Order: sequence, then structure tokens, then C-alpha cells
Amino acid sequence: MEKTREVTTFQAATILISTMIGVGVLPLPLFAVRSGDTGAPFITVLGIGIGAIALIIITKLGLRHPNKTIISYSEDIIGKWLGKIFSLLVILFFLVLTALAAREFGAVVITAVLLETPLEVTVLVMLLLAAISARNTMNTFVYIHSFYIPIILAPVLIIVALSLKNANFLYLRPFIASDLKDSFNGALTVAALLQGSFLMTLIIPTMKNPKSAVKASLWAIFISGGLYVLIVAATVSIFGTEEIKKLYWPTLELARTTSLPGNILQRLDVVFISVWVIAVFTTIFASYFLTIQSLKEYFNLQDHKMLAYFLLPFIFTLAMVPQNILQLYDIILFIGKVGLIFTFFYPMVLYCWDLIRNKRGSKDESKQA
Amino acid sequence: MNRSKPKLKQIFLVILLVPLLTGCWDSREIESRATVLAIGIDKADPDEEEKEDEISHRKGKIDIPAESLIKLTVQIAIPGRIPLGPQIGGGDRSPVLVVRAVGHTLEDALLNIQQEVASEVFLGHLRLIVLNEEVARDGVDRFTDYLRRNPEIRRTAALVVSKERAAKYMEIKPELERVPSLYLAEMVDSLIELGKFPETFIGMFWSILSSKGQDGYLPYFNIKGKSNIQINGLAYFKGDKMVGKTDPLQIGGFMAGIGAEEGGYGIFVKPPELEQEVLVRAVERKTRVKASLKNGKPHIYLKIRYESEIEEIDSRMPTHIDEDDTKALENEFSKMVKEGLEVLIAKTQEAKSDIFGFGEHFRGKFPDFWSKNVNTKENWQDHYANLTYDIEVITSIRRTGMKAR
Amino acid sequence: MSVFRHRTRRKKKLPIDEIPSKQLEEGPKKISGTLDENVMYMKEMLGESDDFVIKHFKVFGKVSAVLMYVNSLTDQNRINNDILKPLMYKPEHLLKKDILLDELISILFSEILYDSKAKLNSEFDELVNVTLLGETVIVIDGIEEAIHIDTRKVDKRSIDSPETEQAVLGPREGFIENISTNIALVRARLPTADFVVKTMKIGRLTKTTVAFCYIKGIASEQVINEVEKRLSEIDIDAILDTGYLEQFIEDNPFSPFPQTQSTERPDKTVSNLVEGRVAILADGSPFALLVPVVFNQFYQTFDDYSSRFLMGSFARLARMLALVFSLIFPSLYVSFISFNPELLPTEFAVAVAGGRAGVPYPAVIEVLIIEISMEVLREATVRMPKQVGGALSIVGVLVVGEAAVNAGLASPITVVVIALTSIGSFATPAYVAAFALRMLRFPILVLAGIFGLYGVVVGVIFIFNHMLSLKSFGVPYMAPVSPGNSQGMKDVVIRSPLWWMPNRPNFLKPVNRDRLGAQNNKELQHNKLGNDQREDT
Repeated sequence: MEKTREVTTFQAATILISTMIGVGVLPLPLFAVRSGDTGAPFITVLGIGIGAIALIIITKLGLRHPNKTIISYSEDIIGKWLGKIFSLLVILFFLVLTALAAREFGAVVITAVLLETPLEVTVLVMLLLAAISARNTMNTFVYIHSFYIPIILAPVLIIVALSLKNANFLYLRPFIASDLKDSFNGALTVAALLQGSFLMTLIIPTMKNPKSAVKASLWAIFISGGLYVLIVAATVSIFGTEEIKKLYWPTLELARTTSLPGNILQRLDVVFISVWVIAVFTTIFASYFLTIQSLKEYFNLQDHKMLAYFLLPFIFTLAMVPQNILQLYDIILFIGKVGLIFTFFYPMVLYCWDLIRNKRGSKDESKQA
Repeated sequence: MNRSKPKLKQIFLVILLVPLLTGCWDSREIESRATVLAIGIDKADPDEEEKEDEISHRKGKIDIPAESLIKLTVQIAIPGRIPLGPQIGGGDRSPVLVVRAVGHTLEDALLNIQQEVASEVFLGHLRLIVLNEEVARDGVDRFTDYLRRNPEIRRTAALVVSKERAAKYMEIKPELERVPSLYLAEMVDSLIELGKFPETFIGMFWSILSSKGQDGYLPYFNIKGKSNIQINGLAYFKGDKMVGKTDPLQIGGFMAGIGAEEGGYGIFVKPPELEQEVLVRAVERKTRVKASLKNGKPHIYLKIRYESEIEEIDSRMPTHIDEDDTKALENEFSKMVKEGLEVLIAKTQEAKSDIFGFGEHFRGKFPDFWSKNVNTKENWQDHYANLTYDIEVITSIRRTGMKAR
Repeated sequence: MSVFRHRTRRKKKLPIDEIPSKQLEEGPKKISGTLDENVMYMKEMLGESDDFVIKHFKVFGKVSAVLMYVNSLTDQNRINNDILKPLMYKPEHLLKKDILLDELISILFSEILYDSKAKLNSEFDELVNVTLLGETVIVIDGIEEAIHIDTRKVDKRSIDSPETEQAVLGPREGFIENISTNIALVRARLPTADFVVKTMKIGRLTKTTVAFCYIKGIASEQVINEVEKRLSEIDIDAILDTGYLEQFIEDNPFSPFPQTQSTERPDKTVSNLVEGRVAILADGSPFALLVPVVFNQFYQTFDDYSSRFLMGSFARLARMLALVFSLIFPSLYVSFISFNPELLPTEFAVAVAGGRAGVPYPAVIEVLIIEISMEVLREATVRMPKQVGGALSIVGVLVVGEAAVNAGLASPITVVVIALTSIGSFATPAYVAAFALRMLRFPILVLAGIFGLYGVVVGVIFIFNHMLSLKSFGVPYMAPVSPGNSQGMKDVVIRSPLWWMPNRPNFLKPVNRDRLGAQNNKELQHNKLGNDQREDT
């Protein structure tokens, strides 16, 4: 299949948005409040800032090699072996990320909606959905993401709007968290939720106009970050920080507190989770797709379709590793932060290295001239 | 390759779908659920521990003292008794089933109830939880854990405190609604809409309970006559324990204090200039709370704007009033509100129960003061007892009804 | 590789001699100068059929000749008056002339035969073929070529209003089974030199005339070439309807969704041609196939465009709702009843429980039973004669439904839900698309039975993902929603006023994109402004 450059700026942005908004949004207010009480929205903004910097570095780096993904240009920059090792680590990380996202959502579903359904089944359904869809081409991948974007943004906005009548804006003050170290820690946790943006390295080579990639990244981080802040601010103002600390998924609880006007539906939590399946699907789908596309490139394979099914058992097994929800969240928080090494520091190092190398290269050239 | 693709996919799907056939794990038909509509929680009578069967624990082998044994009365809707569509003829049989059980905790009691009911107890439609005053005075935190953990519970359910035993409320048969507990739940909702009580539901109560600078409040009900229920005041809490109740009229003052917009209460006002008693009803209010530190001590300044209307004038006297009279009425009304509110604040200060949430203002606006001097809910309750305050009430009467003289 | 993912189909390459054909057994043969030999040959080929006529006569009373035709296919009057008569009587101006055999043909063509389509041929294969299509063959002794003249006359239906696509507002003409009439209907609406019709014969036995038409300069070259390529690859014994063609040229034969649109309406065909699509017509079929298609076409009707835009948009919204109804309404009902009754208002939930109290089956089974009987009923009514069909559907819906409720087989609400669903599926204008959704309702229902709302959403994601991965002749099926296109979006949910859509939808990659003149728009604005000002003064 020859590579077609068809992805528009708008589509690139939608891919990033739907990737970044996923199951992580459900416990997001809890993480933010834990590390900074009423400073939670501020911490979220801080985390988004970190995420934005990472994304911009990734984009800039990708723009220097607009025809390649990170798997191949990392070899150009830091040498074949080092590049191979790091690429493998990145791929492994996204494999784990896919598994954890599926597991986390499976846990939410069996805790909140399908109490008797085995966890394995809910996780498997999610993974299967992603695996089958991941067999599609890059173009379909793009279409799927941009198609679902309104369905992802709408439920959050509706629920926030409906629940705001019970908001107490005093709960949001003081705005700034007092403990700097905790805040930074919390910001890293929030930034870890945005790691899906690493997908940008895969998108740039397929973009019609790679130069607008930065614009797409900024829009994406602005919209999904805005949604993050909105959710955190809404949950904090409605529940207060102390109550949030007692809830696993404050965002879900927000839906539980809301009913549609006119009693059409008496509560929205189940509906919210059901619609949220789509948001979670796009996230899992994106990291699944990223994993298999990278693997395909890593091993120089022709076809990625069989790879999609081949990986399924591994991801499923990984997803089943955590024993219970407490352990799950410990692992998620840990992996999330470890992941920042790959999605933030690694591209940064590559970028700097690339800059230095190029400068030296051009100096050498000028000397020769 | 192409030829094998659909086949492979199909085989793959079939293999994965086979385990699903054993599924329908969560499918439970609506008619085979015991839909609990309301729960009443009372203290168990001293001899009732004996009645408890060994369901969740061995007798005496539980680390919860016998005094805290609760008696749970639940109202379960019976499918078939509540007909679909308009009711044709009145069936005499009760549409609900009332089941009682004792237990050490909420879930303990519910398990005991499940033991008696064939269908699965389903709490998704739980609209009302009635707490007996005695139970509320002992503390409500012990119930919240189960309610928060259970995903079936709605956060919008109503939680009320009752003067009589909660069991009575489960058995009462109001004439107005086919399903008794729906009547109660709807009563709470419509009272809120009419401005008789500030917005209250269980989720909000929990939030307030958790917050450091506010204490909880709940509607307080009592039974009038045979089957009528009346909202008889506001139960205020210190921490999770109920410490007192107000008069019904003071609810209006309280609503002014927290800035609930919807006005509902009317009072008889008789300024010295006038000779008639005039019934003035609050239509809308706006409250501004200004927190400040006076010499390092918390101080609250409340500015309340009322928009009111004249609803009735005692007609034993001439019922004509003019512009100056309304001014006098406005002032008198303001004065009465202010006095009422001062009484209420004093009362809650005595009980160290900051139902107004003034503490939240200090926590939000003076974080330094808060972290140095307060930091915990208990500390704030102490501070609240010594809180100083100024109240300013401004009333404007805009409507006088359709009668000219 | 091209952008088209046209799959090479697993067609069995029929060895050529497997099709029973006498003429092919003989191998290609040319006409000879001897009349008897030629007649013998034709007789051997076609003589078994009694409707094959061989008529001996003498051209101008001198040269012996033979006229051959299949009488069931031909216009007897024409043969007698326009062919036989002039051939037998030597016209006056030629009376004195002695005609040589060499000149005869040219004289016949230029002075005798009153037919513009007369042709010469010397291949027997071809002569047999045209005879079978209703032409008349004239073989003259001593001449090594035969004349064939189109005398085909097959009875055809008159032009009627389209049965399956009624429009409230708009033309009442529908295609019929005759391809030349159909092409005429289209061409009459498109008197432009750019309108191109290309024909080919497909089907070894039926030799069906298949035409594909497009407007040069609008339809994309890529699509035209692809259509031609896919059509020419078809090798089958019989093509009886455009539906046969559809199955050979669609991109994904395993998809439940139609990837071509068939229409009975010439007006709709023209409007699609103008947008840059290609229409495929086949002789014997009153349906035109339009390619490439996108999904939103299936809930659009001609009425949307012929009525004012507010009306059109409103009707379209209702239809979209019906579409959603027909797909997920029963599964939503099942998941509410069996999984999440807490979503329903308490009063209603309690009442529903009462209604279901006597029903022995779980909601899924109950809905499945009623759904399946509904499908059976529908299938039965389709085949019924019109007079009986109406009665049957009333009996089916009212009596059976009522009885099922009374017998405790179904709860009244289930019947309401199923009724709404069925009505919803009939509101979708395109029969095939409605069918696809009706079919997909069942897997979703099963998913709902297993997972409740979660299952419904998973099912819907599956379907959407499938639709998003579909392509019709290189055009993404869900365009212009995804990949998004602002011009196209104006015609998806609502039907924007025509002057808001100055360009053709670009997902069809039209060569020429302008639909409205730039001046037009300005003048429209101007007129409106003018009106306002007039009202002001």
C-alpha cells in the first residue's frame, strides 16, 4: 500500500483529541484533588502545560523528518542500535498502556453498571473492538476518529451544563495549591493522561500539509485540555474537594447526580458510561493502532492486519495482571509517570541531539565549502 | 489472502462469541426485581436483637455494639398492583409491600431483608430515605459508606429526618398518589420548587458533610393526623450528628442566609405605622456574604435583598395601603427577617453547627488563616460558635396583587 | 495499486465451450455467395424454433433472395411495408436500367431501403446474433454480404409513476424495462453534448445491453474508468436486472450496506449525474444504478430538493430519527427493561413491571419473538396481491398484537416498541438501506441482551466502524461527515437552501465544481436586500 497524504489539519486535531479524552477522564478529578485540594484545576492546567510542551516537541521533531515515524528516524538520530532499543521500549509502553486502558474501563463497567458480568468479558469486548478496527487502513483510522469527535465531546458538556445548577463556586477557592511538590507531582499525573498525543509521530507522515501539524497539536491540546479543566472545575465546584477524595470516578458521579430535565431519564450515569464506551474505544483503538503500526515498521512487515489479532492475547493477559482496582490504580499511576520518560524526555533528547547533530553537520559542510 | 479473510474473521468471531452465550450475567427482568422505593431507618427496640437471624454474622460475634442495632423498614413495589395506564377502578390492595428487618448496619439489614424476599432487592429506584430523629442524633456517617459504594443508589434521592418512627412513614397511605413513597419523594421535590426548603438531596448532603466549613441540614418531617405529612422544620447537624431542629418559619431565614433564590415563605408584618396585619411573602432573594477577619477573628457580613409581594391584608381593618405604607412594610419586613435570622444563627452557634457554610467562605478566601488556625471541621465548629456577624436586609415590595383598595 | 480496493472476484472462468451454443460449435464462418448454402446454415442454427421465419422472394422480381427473422421479436408491418415491398417492386426510375449484381447493394442502400439503420455484415455469428435481437436479415443470391435491418418490436409497459419511490412533489415519470426509453428519459432532461452514454453487452446468454452514462467534465475520470473496468470484467450467463450488476461491481459484497443506489426515477438519476455520479442502466430493468454512493443518500428523497428547504430539512430530520429508531429502539427497550430500569421514571418503571408481570420470557426473547414474527408478516405482505395485502397487515398487526398481549405472550409496551420500530424502518426511503438496518437490528438486540446499554453501544460502534471503512468506487461511505467536508455537510442533516450550496460535493472529486454562478448568488442577495428596503419605505 503506497502512503497517501490525505490527513487534513482538522482530522489530525480530532485524532489527538479523541485519543487524549478517554477513560482517564473518569478519575481525573480525584488525582488532581488528591495532590492539590482546591488547586485541582490549576494543577490540571499545569499538567496540560507539560503535556502541551511534550506534544510540541514531538511535533517539531516529527516535522524535521516529515516522511518518517519515530521508529525510523530515531535510528537516524541516535544510531541504529540505540534507536532500536528505545523504539522497542516505546512500543512496549504503548502495549501496556492499551492493556491498562482496557482494564481500567472494564473495572469501571463492572463496578458501576454490569455488576455480575466477568471482568474478562468486558475487557475482551473492548480489546476485540479495537483489534478488529485496527485492521483497517490509516485512512479509515482517521475517519473513525473524526467521526466520533462530537459524540465524545457532547456528553461531558451536557452533563457539566446540567449539573452546574448545584455548583458552589466557593469550593474552587483558593485557586492555587499550596504545596509545590505535590502540585508538580499531580501535574505529572495529569500530563500522563495526555500521553496519547504521542500518536502525532504516526500522523505527521500521512498529513497532507505537515507544516500545519503544530497548529493541529495546539488546537487538540487546547480542546481536550479545556475539557479536562472543565471537568475538574465542575466536579470540584459541585462536590467539594473532600467529597471527591471519597470517590473513585468523580466524573461518573457527576452523571449520577444529574437527571435530564422533564425526567426523561432519571439518571445519566449509565447512559454516560455507555456513551463513554466510544471515547474509551477511540483511545484504546489509537494506542492499539500505534502499537501495531510501530511494530510493523519495526520489523519491516508488509501487512499489519494479522498483527492486530496476534497481539490480542498478549494485551489481554497484560490487562488481567492487576489483582484489583486498588492495585490497578497504583500501577496506572506508576506506569503513567514512567511513560513520561518515553513520551516526554525521549523525544526531547532526540530533538536536542538532532539539533546539535544538524548544526555540527552544517558547520562541517561550511568548512568544506 | 482475500479469499480467506472473511472466513478467518468469522471463525475468530464465533470462537470469541461462544463464551458470551453463557452470558446475560446482569440481565434481570424488571418484574423480577424487588424495586425498593423507600427506606426507613429506626433504632431497633432493645429486645429485637434476638430476632435477628444468623445471616451475615454469628450471634454476638460482631464488633458493633448492640445498642446501635437498626431496624430497617423498606417499601417494595409489587409488579402488577400498579397498573399500566390510567387506573380503572380503585384496587384496595396495597401496591407496595412493606418489609422489616433488623441489622447492625444498613447492608446487614438489607441482607436480612433479601433473605425474606424472593426477587433481588433493587435499589435503583430508591427515592427516599427516612431517618428517625433518634438515629440521626446518633450520627449518620455509618450509613453513608454503603450508600456511596453501591452504584444503584441515586445521588438525587431525598434524605429526610422524621419525628416519628420511620417505619410509620413506610406504612402511611396518602390519598393523593398511588404509590405512597412516591408521594413523599415528590413532596420533597415540590417543596423545594415552591421555595419551602432549599435544594436538598442525598448527594448534596454528603458533599456538605464532607466539606470542612459547613454542617449538614435536612428537612424535618412529622405526621399530621392520619395520613398527612408536614415539613416541620429543618434538622441541623454537627458533624454527622443531628443536634437540633428549627421552626418551619426559620427555614425561610435559613434560606436567606445561604442565598437560596426562590422565596416561598410569607410572614405577617405589622409596622407600628399601620394598624393592619399584612401578609408579605418573599418572592426572590439575593444574598451577599462577605467574610472578613476582624482582629484575626472571623467576621461575617450578610447583605440580603428581598423582593416581596403583598399577598393578603387582614380585612377587619381598612385594606387600603399607599406608597408610604409599603415603605414601612418593607422596613418592618427587613427587620423581622433580620431578627429571625439572628435568632437562628445564635441557635446554631450554640449547637456549633454551621449550616450556613460560612466556614467555606473563610476556607476559600483566607487560606492562610484557615491553615494556621482551623484546618479541621471540628476546629471550625468551635470558631463558628464565636463568629461575629452583621446582617443587613433590604426589602422591596413590587407587587400588591390585583386588588386596588 | 490504485486507490480503489476493488477485489478481484472469485469468478469461475467459464471455458468458452461450456455455454451451449450451436453457432460456436461450428466456429466462425463467413457468408458464401450461394443462397441455398447460406439459408441452410441459418436454418441449422435457428430453424429448430418455430418462430424463425424464412421467406424467399426476388429482388426487383429478378434476383432471388431470402428474408429471415424471428417473428416474435419483430414488427411484421414494417417488414412487409418498409422492407419487402420496396425490395420486390422495382421503382420507376430504375425500370429501364439493368442492374448489375455488383451495383445492387449500393442501389438498395441508397435508393430502396427506407431504413437508416440498415447494415451489411458477412459474419454468420453476428448475423445469428442480430436475428435473435429482432433484426431482419436479407441474404441475396450471389452476394457475399447480408443486409440486416433493425425491426425489433417488443411490447413494453407504458411510462408509469415510480412504484418504490413515490414523491409528493416532483415528476411522476419512472423508468421502464426498455433501456432505450430509459436513456431517452434521461437524455430528454439533459440536452447537453457532455452527457455521454456508453453501452456494452453483458451476459453470455442474455446479451443484455448495459449502458453507463455520465456527464463529461463533471464526473471524475477515475470513477468512470473504474466503472468501465468493473463492468467489463463481468462474465456471467445472464443479467436480468441491474441488481445482478450491482453484486459484481460493489466494493465489499459482505457488507450489509448497499454500495450502489438503485433508483426508478429519471429525475433523481439526472440530479446524481449532475453531481458527478455515474448511472448504470440495463435492458430489462426499470432501475438505474448510481455510483459512487455515500450513506446519506439513502435517507434523502427527491422531495427534499423539490420542496422548500425548511420543509425538506424537517422531513429529513424525521427520517433520520426513523432510521435510528429502526436500528436501536428494540435494543434500547431491552436494556432499559432488563438491565437499567433505574433510568426510567419511577412511576413508569413500576407500571412497566406490572405490564410484564405475566410474560414468561425475558425481554430479549420476547422482543425477538415479536420481531421475527413481524419480519415474517412483512415478507408475507410483500408477496401478497395488493387487495389481500392490506387486509393481512391489519389482521397481523392489530389482531395478532392484541392477542399476544392478552395471551400474556408479550407486554403491551413491547408491542408499542416493535410497532414504532417497524414504522421507523418503513420511513427510510431506500428499500435496501432500510433492509440493512432492519437486519442489523438483530445482532444489536442480542448484544443488548448480553450487556445492556453497553452492548448496544458496542454494537453501534461496530456498525459505524464498518461503515467508516467502507468505500464505494473510491469514495468513503460516510463522506461528507467523515472525512469531513463543509460543502457536503450542508446537505446531510438538513437540506440547506440550494443557493447555499454553490459547489458540488467534493468527495465525488468532480472535475468541475461550480454549481451556481457567482453572479447568481450576488443577485440573490441583492434581490433580498432590495425587498427589505422596499418594505422599509
